[in-house]
Amino acid sequence: MSNTREELIRTEKLQKIFVVGGGFARSKLVAVDDVNFHVNKDEIFTLAGESGCGKSTVSKMLLGFLEPNEGKVYYKGEDISNLKKWKDKKGFMKEVQSIFQNPFETFNPLRKVDSYLYDTQKHYGMNHKGRVVEESLEAVGLDISEVKGRYPNEFSGGQLQRISIARALITRPSLLVADEPVSMVDASLRMSIVNLFKELRDKRHVSVLYITHDLATAYYVSDRIGIMFRGNIIEMGDVEDVLMNPKHPYTQMLKESIPEADPKKKWTERISIKELETEEYMRKGCKFAGRCPYVMEKCKDNMPEEISVENRMVRCWLYE
Amino acid sequence: MNILKTENLKSYYIFETPTEKKEVKAVNDVSIDIEEDKIYGIAGESGCGKSTFLKTICGLAEPPLRIVGGTIYYLVNGKYVDITKLKEEEYRKLRWEYISYIPQGSMSALNPIIRVKESFKDFVTAHKKIKDEQKDFEEPLRKHLNALGLPMRVLKSYPHQLSGGMRQRVTIALATILNPRIILADEPTTALDVVAQRAVIQLLKDIQTLQKNTIILVTHDMAVHANISNRMLIMYAGIFVEEADTEELFENPLHPYTQFLIGSLPKMGDKSYKISAPGSPPSLANLPQGCPFHPRCPYVMDICKKERPALVEMKPSHKVSCFLNSKERMQNE
Repeated sequence: MSNTREELIRTEKLQKIFVVGGGFARSKLVAVDDVNFHVNKDEIFTLAGESGCGKSTVSKMLLGFLEPNEGKVYYKGEDISNLKKWKDKKGFMKEVQSIFQNPFETFNPLRKVDSYLYDTQKHYGMNHKGRVVEESLEAVGLDISEVKGRYPNEFSGGQLQRISIARALITRPSLLVADEPVSMVDASLRMSIVNLFKELRDKRHVSVLYITHDLATAYYVSDRIGIMFRGNIIEMGDVEDVLMNPKHPYTQMLKESIPEADPKKKWTERISIKELETEEYMRKGCKFAGRCPYVMEKCKDNMPEEISVENRMVRCWLYE
Repeated sequence: MNILKTENLKSYYIFETPTEKKEVKAVNDVSIDIEEDKIYGIAGESGCGKSTFLKTICGLAEPPLRIVGGTIYYLVNGKYVDITKLKEEEYRKLRWEYISYIPQGSMSALNPIIRVKESFKDFVTAHKKIKDEQKDFEEPLRKHLNALGLPMRVLKSYPHQLSGGMRQRVTIALATILNPRIILADEPTTALDVVAQRAVIQLLKDIQTLQKNTIILVTHDMAVHANISNRMLIMYAGIFVEEADTEELFENPLHPYTQFLIGSLPKMGDKSYKISAPGSPPSLANLPQGCPFHPRCPYVMDICKKERPALVEMKPSHKVSCFLNSKERMQNE
């Protein structure tokens, strides 16, 4: 993490509360709490965590789909909640584009896919005479003749995901927010999409916020990583440090639990699971205290602060 | 001993309209032997026919899916029985007591408006006469749950009160309470988070050691296979292209598709460049002639475009369906 690099997007104390139930059974669920991170220029940053950890909620707040209850998102130093005029908002949307999880749901099955590309070009007022659409398709390894006049069902998941990346590239963005972009793509094509992100970073200087539950691809593709647990980032730093030498007990457990694609590395130890998800969200102190093997008295009532240990941030009282 | 044999099994999705007939060849002429007391893993991409294969051998084929040809033999009490020729009444006796099925979505497998214990009761009473409730039902049930390490409180809960991982484990306990000889599991760990996934894998392994039955596990996740399967089958476009023991397959894949599949797996601590197989999988409704992988294969030869290679034994207990394999080439010459 060198300071010389330019920061693209930064979040400060981001918080989102959802209200669950109605009437007397109303209760609050803090889905995202005190989330601080930034993405640099020319960088792939990963937010990783299990289902229900709040990683998608963070991406929705960054894109402006959800309003945070507290905290701010800064894009190139400017608070995005101050973008009131449509023109300013459009400028931000042009710079930050998103790619969604399921490519079959991204496109309307009754519309030809190339219409999405031309609509995006028109909507953002990109140069009509240039070859913007053709160039974006080339950047993802497709040719306009393969795409023109065809419907979504004529493509495979991998191809559709490429087209959806090409659509995002039309506005020449600086940042792509990709929420689980490969989880619906076939195994034999998955790496080609992941490699594409690397290529975009190196050749087109596009940063990527990669949101995933898959630590193996996260390790392969990203520069820095933040591990989320029950609404907080509990460990963040260079991917090599965090994943190869995890400090937070949760990251250690997560890395242990992920099956490795190597029959020689089978699990030998046994595990047990106890608590329910909502119970963990409701905890006052560290959310991991119920499962942590090193739990102390202090953990039960006090939320750990962001502590800096060996080139990374860890939220754990062990390192105080 | 082979517990299950299929011979030239063909199972197609058939869509007929007055003007056209469309056939989706999801299981396309498959002959396979499944040995007893092992965990088999079937791997393949979405749409390669792995779930259809499982449904077909489980006897769950319903229109538009039809068994077009071939036989499915199960070894029941020392005799091979062709389940495609059984009457519904006879097959029902085999189901759950002999063949069991674990579905993917555990929420839809359990009745949401009755307690878990009632579901177990439904299951057991359909197959056994219960004279003494305590002795014939409660005791074996408690024993079964204890052996699997599940808490007794799940019996009093409704399905929605359990977490996804626990629900999946309850479904597995339900599917194995009658001590079936063969268990078919379709993506049992997909949609679970990693810790719950590990618990489910642990449970399946425990059951296999305890009951000495055969498990056929379908999942696209190679890492799960590496952890649980003894023997693996790789499926591509409706056929099995390779069969070997798990360690042998990961170490020494012979089919070009398997080589791509294993070579492209990202691993922790390894940042070397990984490449995917070129192109995309064919549509099962419009399969290429010859070997289904030939349009994507870097080693394609003339013969691959004309004939489909058979699944032959290349090394002891390592079978592959590819013309690069010298034995296969010799047989053809």
